[in-house]
Amino acid sequence: MSIHALLGLLALNLLFAAVGSAVLFAVRGWGSWSELLRLGGLAYMLGVASLATVLIAEVVVGIPLGFASILGTSAVLVVLAGVVGRRGGHGLPPLRSPLSLPRITWVAAVGAVLAVVYLEAAFRAARLAGLYEFDAWDFWVPKAKAIYFFGGFDEQFFRELINQSYPPAVPVLEAAAFHFMGAADVVTLHVQFWFFFAGFLAALVGLLSRRVPAVFLWVPLTLLLATPYLGPHFIQPTADFLVDELFVLAALLLALWLLDREDWKLGAVAVLLAGVALTKREGYVFAASALLAAGVVTFPERRAAWPRLAAVGVAAVVATIPWRVLLSVRDLSGGGPEAGGTGLFANADRAWPSLRLALTTLFDFDTWLLVAPLLLLAVAAAFVAGERVLAGYAALLLVFALAAFTYATWAFPSLGISTNPALNPIIRLTGEVVLLAAALTPLLLARAWRRSA
Amino acid sequence: MRPSLPTTTPERISRGLVVVSLAVAVALVCVYLPRAVRDLGDLASNNAQLSYSDREVAAGNAIVVDQEAAYQARANIPPDATYRVATGSPVRGATDLTTPFVGAWFRSFLMPRRPAADAHWIVCYGCDVSRLGGTYVPVWHDDAGISLGRLR
Repeated sequence: MSIHALLGLLALNLLFAAVGSAVLFAVRGWGSWSELLRLGGLAYMLGVASLATVLIAEVVVGIPLGFASILGTSAVLVVLAGVVGRRGGHGLPPLRSPLSLPRITWVAAVGAVLAVVYLEAAFRAARLAGLYEFDAWDFWVPKAKAIYFFGGFDEQFFRELINQSYPPAVPVLEAAAFHFMGAADVVTLHVQFWFFFAGFLAALVGLLSRRVPAVFLWVPLTLLLATPYLGPHFIQPTADFLVDELFVLAALLLALWLLDREDWKLGAVAVLLAGVALTKREGYVFAASALLAAGVVTFPERRAAWPRLAAVGVAAVVATIPWRVLLSVRDLSGGGPEAGGTGLFANADRAWPSLRLALTTLFDFDTWLLVAPLLLLAVAAAFVAGERVLAGYAALLLVFALAAFTYATWAFPSLGISTNPALNPIIRLTGEVVLLAAALTPLLLARAWRRSA
Repeated sequence: MRPSLPTTTPERISRGLVVVSLAVAVALVCVYLPRAVRDLGDLASNNAQLSYSDREVAAGNAIVVDQEAAYQARANIPPDATYRVATGSPVRGATDLTTPFVGAWFRSFLMPRRPAADAHWIVCYGCDVSRLGGTYVPVWHDDAGISLGRLR
């Protein structure tokens, strides 16, 4: 709750950006400093995902998480990424090269101002927010405190706290935030989640601003900010929005790869999907759905595309092995569904109510306005215009997401058929599609417009 | 974006869908984005009006009944000691959340202190002190029936 804590968080997030810039250098390189600035949001999110992935592996093998290990790991990652980038033929632009800023249209200027106003209000809300969300105070933050105080996945607390199987990226990142703040400050911790969201927005803008006209980018983006559920919830110190943010960037990069086949994007997707799988259990499903959707629409070029997509999936899964090994060694719950497999037949009466709940929540105006229907319209516009690959990919992602949301209620009979967050996490789950809409709607609308010109 | 006129029916349909999508989205942004910003501002104001302890205890305010119990426990129980939360008859001012969640809330609040079934430090919420397994010596108590003490 102090300037010291805020400055500490700022330093940590600059570290994420530095590590992520190096990772971006490794997979892509930068043509100029202004290009790095434009992709700074993506670099930041790559830094979050890569640092979380490596720190988790370190903690699993017994390297205590602390200030020194965070800084040391970051330094090693930067050096390794630099070597990989150099070997890949990437070079640094001259230090004194001029920073050329793009021309900004008035639509982009208005959109950017609205986003800044929104983020400023969210920052003030986050800065002094108390820990009210049940999941936050009951297990996410206690796990982070345990890592902070004891340096690792403490035997006692990681057994006694509920949801043992939940992947530990958020507790590890929160523990890192505590170290940089100098205390287990659960109030200022909310600002860390503000940084994640701001980085996500910056990444979307950086990836799309050169590809779509400003009106197609900023209207869906500001619509996302206008949704009633988003504001008070993305600053909560839980994993729900971080997993969506990482996943949506991966899904967007896959969409862009479908359009231009630049393979560096798949490298970035692998890093982001590793972060997704290490953030929440549904991250595995999200990652699989994106790769499967991309696989379906690349069927005609399967010989070239599928091995690449499979390699991305394998890399993401490999990153989760240390955590899965720890769960197994300690004989902790693996986190499977209560009624998966044949259990679904025994609970067949929950199938339709589960699907109906997923649909009504996703299309609930008071929660998400008309973000999902507008995504459907954008898919239809792109499809009619002949943009079949992108439209098919987006439609499949939507179908897979709905199937996953349905399964999440159907396969867990202890969950009520309700939007009450104490009984069912369905509202938080549907955030995946809403954030996805902010990323894919601009691309779909722009491609549809251009195709029909 | 310099549009040429669409010539075929699919092109017209596609453009129509794009225009409708943008128009609806702009209308929604005009109405709901100011509301979202105002709601965040209200949330920030409400947070700022809270005392330091209200903000730190947060959800615990609906559970622990008396913030003083939490702060006394943190002040008296050494960081490397163990403790247990013992519940019994409802304390005055208890909510439906007190008995089921008070142990979980203290587990987070008192970290790095560890909960243990045989701990000598006791956070007693209307507990039966005769069943704690020793002589209970309170170091703090309030009028609601909450006390903090240790076993001899």
